[in-house]
Amino acid sequence: MFDDALSRRAFLTVSGAAVASAWLAADPDELRASLAHAARAREAPCAPAWEFFTAEQAADVEAIAAQIVPTDDTPGAREARVVSFVDHSLATWAVPQREPFIQGLDGLNGDVEKRWPGTGRFASLPPERQLELLRAQEQTPFFRQMRFATLVGMFSLPSYGGNAGKLGWRLIGFEDRYVWQPPFGDYDAEAAGRGH
Amino acid sequence: MGTEAVRPGRPAIRFRPGATVDFVVVGSGAAGGIMAKELATAGFTVVVLEQGPRVEAEQFEHDEIKTFFQSALQNNPAGFTFRRTEADAARPGRIQLLYHRLVGGGSVMFTANYWRFREIDFAERSRLGEVAGTGLADWPITYRDLEPYYTRAEWELGVSGVPGLFDPPRSRRYPLPPLPVKSSGVLFERGARALGLHPQPSPLAILSRPYHGRRACQHCGYCLAFGCEFGAKSSTLVTVIPLAEATGRCEIRADSYVRKIEVDDRGRVTGATYLDADKREHFQPARAVVLCCNGAETPRLLLMSTSSLFPNGLANSSGVVGKYLMFNGLSSASGVFERPLNEFKSVMATRVLYDFYDSDPRRGFYGGGALDARAFVYPTLFALGGLPHDAPSWGAEYKRMLREYYTRTMNVDGHSTSLPLETNSISLDPEVKDAWGLPALRVTYRDHPDDLAMMRFLQDKAVEILEAAGARQTWRQPVQEATLAAHLLGTCRMGNDPRTSVVDQYHRTHDVRNLFICDGSSLVTGGRGQPTCTIQALAYRAGEHIAALARRGEI
Repeated sequence: MFDDALSRRAFLTVSGAAVASAWLAADPDELRASLAHAARAREAPCAPAWEFFTAEQAADVEAIAAQIVPTDDTPGAREARVVSFVDHSLATWAVPQREPFIQGLDGLNGDVEKRWPGTGRFASLPPERQLELLRAQEQTPFFRQMRFATLVGMFSLPSYGGNAGKLGWRLIGFEDRYVWQPPFGDYDAEAAGRGH
Repeated sequence: MGTEAVRPGRPAIRFRPGATVDFVVVGSGAAGGIMAKELATAGFTVVVLEQGPRVEAEQFEHDEIKTFFQSALQNNPAGFTFRRTEADAARPGRIQLLYHRLVGGGSVMFTANYWRFREIDFAERSRLGEVAGTGLADWPITYRDLEPYYTRAEWELGVSGVPGLFDPPRSRRYPLPPLPVKSSGVLFERGARALGLHPQPSPLAILSRPYHGRRACQHCGYCLAFGCEFGAKSSTLVTVIPLAEATGRCEIRADSYVRKIEVDDRGRVTGATYLDADKREHFQPARAVVLCCNGAETPRLLLMSTSSLFPNGLANSSGVVGKYLMFNGLSSASGVFERPLNEFKSVMATRVLYDFYDSDPRRGFYGGGALDARAFVYPTLFALGGLPHDAPSWGAEYKRMLREYYTRTMNVDGHSTSLPLETNSISLDPEVKDAWGLPALRVTYRDHPDDLAMMRFLQDKAVEILEAAGARQTWRQPVQEATLAAHLLGTCRMGNDPRTSVVDQYHRTHDVRNLFICDGSSLVTGGRGQPTCTIQALAYRAGEHIAALARRGEI
């Protein structure tokens, strides 16, 4: 189900911890290459066929997901095709979540109209207004549902429709191999006298 | 010592419908699988009725959605209600009561921590005296009584480990050496030793080397809540159940949900009424019945099995069926380090320490426990809840932190005591039904203040260890009253007095001569957080005695 019962944290303030770029998980060149590949795929002539969403709904969901896991110099929810995951899920295993989901999305578009009359739907807002609106809504059930769906779509098995090209996994340094051998990490490698 | 190689024995016997067998065993999990194997190898005919489906090891997959969000092989989360106290209204969904419905039960999905109980766990009441307002009691058996069966479980199932400073006496070494240490284990050991503590390799029911024709662990990283696709986790599915079936006397009947144990007018059980996958009802007659359904389903089944002779539920003349429910305390702290740990690889825990095992009056409260170095690293779950509480939960900075923390974070978890309280219980919900139309489990549970104090104590130690190990940041999961329970203990407690306990020291119910119970419900105290090893040792001991009783015609 698309609820965030397993999400253990409250939404609090931004941590100020500064971190060196050397900490990034995957090879940045590889990720940038996959970013370019994903961009080319999106420009391909055939529009995706949605199982559940209308084209407008899909555009909104993709825009929200892209604020939750944005694209910067590495891929985000857009490239990982989170919107396809959400669409496929609502068409299959998450059918009971359709109604609250669509109600929430309609509510969000209602707020768009209220704040900026005549600008259209969420997806057509400029990115800074999208961010402003979502920040104001991050405690709402719909935003929590979107966060949950985005993160599950970003990091679960690609067979569910998201995590395209395993981009979510590569982003954080996870690899879905079934067989590993020690050393597993830097500290056990060091302890075994094999690393560094 | 049963160390024969596992021979694939399927297809196993299928008994004719309606044929009376010697034993019906209800449940095929940690205890039920062993019970079936012990009784079948002793020469008796056995039908095991298992609620869930049969899934073979090679069918398990690393699917977080199926496992965590679709409850594919778990109990239905909608099938129970919860309240803190009897004065509250019970409502669905306020606590996650986690167990597994498939052949092999929880032994397929557990983390595979395999800790023996110690002498003190069996005799804490007489050692410490009364703890006011609680049902803390001595067991009718001692560690010495159970020791041969711990050894038997370790050798027959396959356990990897090496004894440490505080381990109880053992008659035989572990059959397999410990699994290779992970970075979390190295750091835990570094921090603990700096504080003068005594970490040791975690004993795990996972093969570090090939054993009895089974493959060794391949370090895939999916132990907790996942079945092992290599068969390296020593579940009953890949160890004793094939041995039971190889006898030609044991049928494992999957998708069979028992709703009532039937009795005759002399007060003896006659068999089990169950629903098949299509919810059609059947009756399986038997000369004796053994319940191994777990600490929640066993009392529920007894309470559903009312009759004119047993109006308050079967084997419940004491009124304690379902009472003294214990979950074990769990607390957790996390730390992030400079360089990658890659905790997503290999087993969940490789180092543990038992320095705080015994209850110490100087702490000012009852309780004891252990700490271990843990992974919390399934990618989806980590993305949802793995970062520090004050980190952003979405957006650019969230993404940056996720990339930084995912491979560099570890947990230190505290595992601790739950006091047995008469008011903590499993009962039948008077209104809510489960997916089969049967009364939903109603859980009434409030942690004792000492249990919460022990969790906080261990969490403080966990943070100290992480800091001493060099963590650049640490954070804590809030210590709070139980919201998730995977250990379901104490609800048909063992004892010598039929007025205050449900089963005797050999797991025969005080009230019904041919009805036995052996699972987490038998435990008088809950140990320090890892009950499976003790449940399985009890099952070997009970199986041996039940077979001896049957041979002597004393059932």
